[in-house]
Amino acid sequence: MSGATEENPAPVAATAPRPRKHPLSYLIRFQSLLGLILVVVGGIIFSPRRHGHILFLGPENIANIVRSISETGILALGMTFVIIAAGIDLSVGAVLGLSSVLTAALLVNQGWGLATTLPLVVVVATLFGLMQGYLSTRLRIQAFIVTLAGLQAARGLALIASDNTFININYGHGPGSAPPAFAILGERLFGDTFPVATLVFLALAIVATFLLNQTRYGRYVFAVGGNERAARLSGIPVRWIKISVYGLSGLCAGIAGIVHAGQFSFGSPNDGSGYELSAIAAVVIGGTDLFGGAGSMIGTIAGAVMLGALANILQLNDVSAAMQLLATGAIIVLAAGLQTLVGGRDGSSR
Amino acid sequence: MSLPILVLSGIEKRFGGVQALRGVDFTLSAGEIHVLLGENGAGKSTLMSIISGAAQPDHGAMSLDGAPVNFQTPRDAHAAGIVMIPQELDLVPGLDIAANLFLGHEQLTGIRTLARSRMMREAHELLRRAGVSLDPALLVSSLRMGERQLVAIAKALAAEARILILDEPTAALSATEAEYLFGTVRELRARGVGIIYISHRLEEVPRIADRVTVMRDGGVVGEAAPDAPQAELVRMLVGKDFKDLFPPRAGLLGEPILNLVHARFVPLVDRAGWQAPQDVSLTVHEGEIVGLSGLMGAGRTELLSALYGFEARGRWVGRVEIGGRPVKLGSVATARRAGMAYVTDDRRGTGLVLGQSVARNIVMSTLPRVTPWGLASASREQAEVSAALSRFDVRPRVPSTRVVNLSGGNQQKVVFAKELLSGPHLLLLDEPTRGVDVGAKAEIYRQLRDLASAGLGVLVASSELPELLGLCDRIIVMHGGITVASFDAGVSEETLRRYSLGEVQAA
Repeated sequence: MSGATEENPAPVAATAPRPRKHPLSYLIRFQSLLGLILVVVGGIIFSPRRHGHILFLGPENIANIVRSISETGILALGMTFVIIAAGIDLSVGAVLGLSSVLTAALLVNQGWGLATTLPLVVVVATLFGLMQGYLSTRLRIQAFIVTLAGLQAARGLALIASDNTFININYGHGPGSAPPAFAILGERLFGDTFPVATLVFLALAIVATFLLNQTRYGRYVFAVGGNERAARLSGIPVRWIKISVYGLSGLCAGIAGIVHAGQFSFGSPNDGSGYELSAIAAVVIGGTDLFGGAGSMIGTIAGAVMLGALANILQLNDVSAAMQLLATGAIIVLAAGLQTLVGGRDGSSR
Repeated sequence: MSLPILVLSGIEKRFGGVQALRGVDFTLSAGEIHVLLGENGAGKSTLMSIISGAAQPDHGAMSLDGAPVNFQTPRDAHAAGIVMIPQELDLVPGLDIAANLFLGHEQLTGIRTLARSRMMREAHELLRRAGVSLDPALLVSSLRMGERQLVAIAKALAAEARILILDEPTAALSATEAEYLFGTVRELRARGVGIIYISHRLEEVPRIADRVTVMRDGGVVGEAAPDAPQAELVRMLVGKDFKDLFPPRAGLLGEPILNLVHARFVPLVDRAGWQAPQDVSLTVHEGEIVGLSGLMGAGRTELLSALYGFEARGRWVGRVEIGGRPVKLGSVATARRAGMAYVTDDRRGTGLVLGQSVARNIVMSTLPRVTPWGLASASREQAEVSAALSRFDVRPRVPSTRVVNLSGGNQQKVVFAKELLSGPHLLLLDEPTRGVDVGAKAEIYRQLRDLASAGLGVLVASSELPELLGLCDRIIVMHGGITVASFDAGVSEETLRRYSLGEVQAA
């Protein structure tokens, strides 16, 4: 509506005061951190105690939380790029399953070493993502459809690679067992406290944050998601950016699949189903706009930790699985609602 | 003319510290088209929201048919027969015309299902009364902008409107569509509907107005005759002479930048309504502003987008030279390497990322420069942005402001800043002042002339002849994708119009 611009004459002074921000807009900005703090405080209050110790804050429990989020957290990192570029990737859970099976099959059934297996799995997952991006931009099919199809295709490939069974990973030397070094992904460092899987997540989180905030590539992603035509007019390689974010998402899913195989010492073609939704939830709770063009990696990380902590509190309190699902759903709606309520993006301007 | 049906006197309205209206008097008769002119911020919108019940005056009185009225909500005004058609039409694209006309007051059968055939019949009648020949079963999404506008008017008729407020109805319409709209509006006038018509397009005024009121700074400057020359309207609008809007020409031309000789663009796929450049010969020199004139559909926009390779895939044949050397144009990347920049007529759609900050927008076309080795450099970005903000006088001068919160004129400045930061040699402009008020237009003209003086070549397409005549060093007329004539500054509007119509073919 033109009324807003029509009757607000532009401020005359050259150094006009910064337009006043809605007080709640700060809440949005730190929405995921705020949510995380609330969940942590709630966790401390409602945590069961034993011998005066708060179980929720016990090192064992914290390790459990950060371990539980490492896989969906890695998926969410890639998903953040996709969603900021105004896309969506529903295939990541299935690609995680495919990668875990592929890892197990190559290590155990084919007797490959780590130096060949791991890069190959990552490359396959990345190519899978790139192909989805290519199909979606080239054939102009909505990403939702392409990656939904990709989800099915990745599951099919996983079934083929595993010969339709679950592959157990035994460690040892010689045929039929994987190199013992691979077991490290299921272990903990620093006096048995810090899970290696979480370390992988943290390292990737730092790289992803840097890539999104500190590089030209990150700016391009924001520009393409914000206004594709304006980006094209400015000479930004729009199609390549749109394809590449799916490559990044596939790359993350590949790494998550390797972590999955390492943590659980098996590859199962049906693993990772539903992970894509947890990853999307973490991104959205983190304040990234599903329409693209706005979002933050820190938010995604906080969103992932928050979801993990929430699930943990509910488990500690012996809340039934059904109630856990309900509570998670409610939190996602709350987070998304807060975003539109305060008009994170001037609702009508779209 | 009959007695006024709507009378406003001494209307005052204050928003915080801003006096939006200072004692406005306004009348409207039945069967009259009353054109309301005013710059952004002159108070037109506030006045209209008071008439349509969206705002209440602080002082002053309003009467309808001689009886005082005091609308508290738009619903009150609606019930009294006052309907405003906003620029953003409130139609549901996914529903058919009939469903839109009856939206919110659907007619039902005895068993409370939709009375489809009855609504279809009545919709047909409503459309006929609005002078529209459209099938009511068509989806609104399948209609063109102009047709949607007409459906919105028919919808107002369905609500038994006696007073219709049209807010810049032709802003998004082509010339033919606008012509059709005028027909409908005149038809309504003949039926006794009082019409308040808000417009930025001065050239429309003599074709539609019975009466003209000009507002400035929250007050009424006065009434103008419906056939008053544009120059007089401009003087009333901005308090300055029309010719003062245009900066003096510099006159010093450098080397040719763009040179087309019998060039033709062969599109990869033919699109209906896309007039590919057929036979184009023109030259733009350094320091020169060249105008492209022609009717809607003459291929002005198409020429610009084909040169820039934007949403136009295909190849050029014939001589196409940039800086004296032949180039193969056809993609945005090659056009930018050749030193071109393009500002389309759709500022919000293609020029800006509305939800992001001014700074992010400004550096968008020069990211490689502010990201050495691919890494973002806050200091370089800040330096570029603050230089651009002061050079283009964007207000407020705050890099973190989100573009969506700027006025139209300032948004346009951000688009210019963004494009010119990349240091182009040739600027392609399409309707650079569309939707911009007269004051901001003058500012844009001044900047274009300054840039040209610094050696930039400008190729500007415009449908406003006075703008081309005032701004350009040379004007090229297009017709059917062909450059039919080229004139120096000083040519008459009449001549341009004759060539545009294709009545005369240049030798």
